[in-house]
Amino acid sequence: MKRYILGRLTVVPILLIGIVTVAFCVSRLIPSDPLASIVGERQMNNEEIVNAAKQRWGLDKSVPRQYVLYLENLVRGDLGTSFRTKQSVVADLGERIPATLELAVAAMLFGGLGGVVLGAVSASKKNKPADHISRIFSLVGSSLPVFWTGLALLFLLYARLGWFPGPGRLPPRTRPPDHVTGLYTVDALLAGNPKLALQTLHRLLLPAFVLGWAIMGSVSRLVRASMLDELHADYVRTARAKGLRNATVMRVHVLRNAMLPVLTILGFAFASLLTGAVLTETIFEWNGVGSYAVAATRSLDYPAINGVCLFGGLVFLLANLVTDLLYALADPKIRLS
Amino acid sequence: MRSSFMGSSTGRASGRGLVAALATVALIAASCGSDDDSSGGTTVVGDSSNTTAGVDSTPASAGGTDVRELVVARDMDVNSLDPARAYCDTCQIYLTAVYETLITVDPSDLSQQIPRLATSWEANDDNTVFTFALADATFADGSPVEAKDVKWSWERLSNVKASASYLMDGYSSIETPDEKTVVVTFEAPNSAFLPIVSAPYMGVSNSDEAIAQASALADETAETDDSAEPFFLENSLGSGPYQLESYTEGDALVLVRNDNYWNGTPQFPMVTIKQVKDSASQLQQLQAGDVDIAMQISLDSLSQIEGDPNLNVSTTDSYNFVYIAVSPGAQGPGGAELQDPMVREAIKLAVDYTGILDVTVAGNGKLQASPIPNGFDGSADLALPAQDLDKATALMAEAGLTDGFTLDAMYPKVNVYGVDFDVMMQKVQQDLKKINIEVNLQPVEFPQWIDAINAEGIPLTAVYFAPDHTDSSQYPGYFGMIDGSPWSVRAGGGAAGAPIVNEKEAPLLSKALASSGAAKTAAYTELGQEMINDLIFFPLVNPQLVLASQADVTGNLYSGCCNLDLSFVGIG
Repeated sequence: MKRYILGRLTVVPILLIGIVTVAFCVSRLIPSDPLASIVGERQMNNEEIVNAAKQRWGLDKSVPRQYVLYLENLVRGDLGTSFRTKQSVVADLGERIPATLELAVAAMLFGGLGGVVLGAVSASKKNKPADHISRIFSLVGSSLPVFWTGLALLFLLYARLGWFPGPGRLPPRTRPPDHVTGLYTVDALLAGNPKLALQTLHRLLLPAFVLGWAIMGSVSRLVRASMLDELHADYVRTARAKGLRNATVMRVHVLRNAMLPVLTILGFAFASLLTGAVLTETIFEWNGVGSYAVAATRSLDYPAINGVCLFGGLVFLLANLVTDLLYALADPKIRLS
Repeated sequence: MRSSFMGSSTGRASGRGLVAALATVALIAASCGSDDDSSGGTTVVGDSSNTTAGVDSTPASAGGTDVRELVVARDMDVNSLDPARAYCDTCQIYLTAVYETLITVDPSDLSQQIPRLATSWEANDDNTVFTFALADATFADGSPVEAKDVKWSWERLSNVKASASYLMDGYSSIETPDEKTVVVTFEAPNSAFLPIVSAPYMGVSNSDEAIAQASALADETAETDDSAEPFFLENSLGSGPYQLESYTEGDALVLVRNDNYWNGTPQFPMVTIKQVKDSASQLQQLQAGDVDIAMQISLDSLSQIEGDPNLNVSTTDSYNFVYIAVSPGAQGPGGAELQDPMVREAIKLAVDYTGILDVTVAGNGKLQASPIPNGFDGSADLALPAQDLDKATALMAEAGLTDGFTLDAMYPKVNVYGVDFDVMMQKVQQDLKKINIEVNLQPVEFPQWIDAINAEGIPLTAVYFAPDHTDSSQYPGYFGMIDGSPWSVRAGGGAAGAPIVNEKEAPLLSKALASSGAAKTAAYTELGQEMINDLIFFPLVNPQLVLASQADVTGNLYSGCCNLDLSFVGIG
């Protein structure tokens, strides 16, 4: 196992360099000039200002030279300075990753756990009303675009009914808790402020539900299908022949074995949530990696684009690794090599 | 073996966890009906009347009474918080609140300059020498504002060669005969300088602290060696009523009261400019009481909040405008036909201006004659554009283009000042179809648009403009067919073409910059007419702005120089 992990970790830097190289090349191929975002449209014809900006941001150097410099800095852990925020990309991502992580974890609780529960209910109550209801619920969640669900729920539950707070991670006129983890719910608790922790948790519910609902459908469908497959296995018949109650058979035997393929989809769903919660973050004013990526792309902020790609690549590589490890832990028949 | 690879307790724990999670959700939902109870309260009742902007422009002062924190909802566009590098609409608000200028503009009267750090100012007869006497003001750290700070700040603005550096173009020296006097000399007459001094980008920094703490540079080496920007993203060194508390890009810009403010006590202990991307969300948060001022409510939404007794809502004229422009030197389809002035005039006459006002801003705007917007010097006496399809058709026939032609129209896909460019350009497309011009719409991202227009021009495009300061010189300087102006190059086909020059405009601009009063106005009027005659720009919409706040908020005024001057905002 250790050798396997070490082997996998060894290729991570190589893959990341590949990701960065592709991101670097693609961003340079876009037929636009990032200087427009740096100096502004009105000054683009002012040669003095344009030259000063080129020099300041290293855009006066050849593209291959920029690439070499970027790699040299990357080795030192320096992802460059964002053209847009004027801060180091490492600092920018450091501010935003906890926000996205908090949202992704909460969304996984809704989508992952909810999907497993709904799938299990569907399988155990096949073709009964509970099966139909849970399938419809999860199908609706996967079918509706998240931007629509988000806007509709905000309008209804915040603007009209007032049951949920508005967009943003914190209530108005409230300062963030002292930074420890960057997860406001956790930091508020660590700061001894349970009221703020509850408020931040309350603000997390709606975006997490919207995001989680979208993945709930695929998880529940997979769980249902896997469980129905397992139900026909010999060991299930044996378990029933031994006189075990149906609920015990379903929970202890069928669900656990059916979870194996679900681990894959959960791993990648989590990685997708960490890197692709763009619309939800925008609608709920969640200052995370997704909204940062959009802003970076729109302004052709090269260092930020590369930084986000690097983060995304890392997340998927780690998610893949963790999924493989969980497979091995979950099923001893699987040997990692 | 398989049945034991996970302990059976896990399944029960999951079940209990789910129940616990659901219970927690229910508990939170029940206990957090409103999470604003620690905020000092935002529920507001009061004046339901719609006030007109500009009624009261007296700076607000706490008068010994502490009020709640002010929250302003805005889609921020901050490019920097360094006073020498910042250049954006939100930067105008920030700089005005934190880095005071020598003079400012009365929000209710564009032509009225009022003192800030200067007690008096004068220009010599030919507008080449400007003298300012400074007030006994102090920076936030208590040190006095001196002439050397003004000199250092303005020289740094010029020498960093950033977006707003052009405001100091043409100066030859800044002298400081004593600690409270600043004398600025220009190589050529510059009647625009006093309005320029009121631009927020001309704010004054504490030079000693900027040098000591941020190693900021103001001399010629600033262009290459100044690295103070990160410091200014976390700190401020101004004399304004507020100081920078924190800035998180994409989240909030937080200001805190300057307790050492030399000119009274700022009303709010804290001001937060909160990032709220779209108009609908700003509207919801304003109605819910989560924000005090919503700055970008679209004109479409006006009917939803007008008459709300908890809100103070009005509209006001702005100096922003949206226009279409043609480039006779552009390489793309239609560029060649546009070289004929009759074709350009036909386009101008084919556009249904009032129809565009209706479809874009529901009639909440004005027509505009030339690139000099309504309210600025030189805009008053020019004829407004009007549709005349018969004449447009006749011109097309006279140009030998009865069957029309195809015209490429690349434009930035944006929604600014409440104008959706897609909607506007579709209307333009319909209008030009009536004279057989087939408009090929190509919405693109802004950087792509800039690249295209500067490289080879765009036959027909749409753009917008908001003023940097309150002098009309910025318009011929940008739109005029004057050698070196951005649009002289673009109209001529960008870098691939040859600039178009109207020989009358440069002397007229020089004349305006050397004049004052009525002579200046006459020169700008003449310039406005020349820009109309160029048949390059067709202003379409001069939209109104929606001013929306909680009913007890006062002084929410649109300022021509500064967008929103927080020193005027208070609680009534």
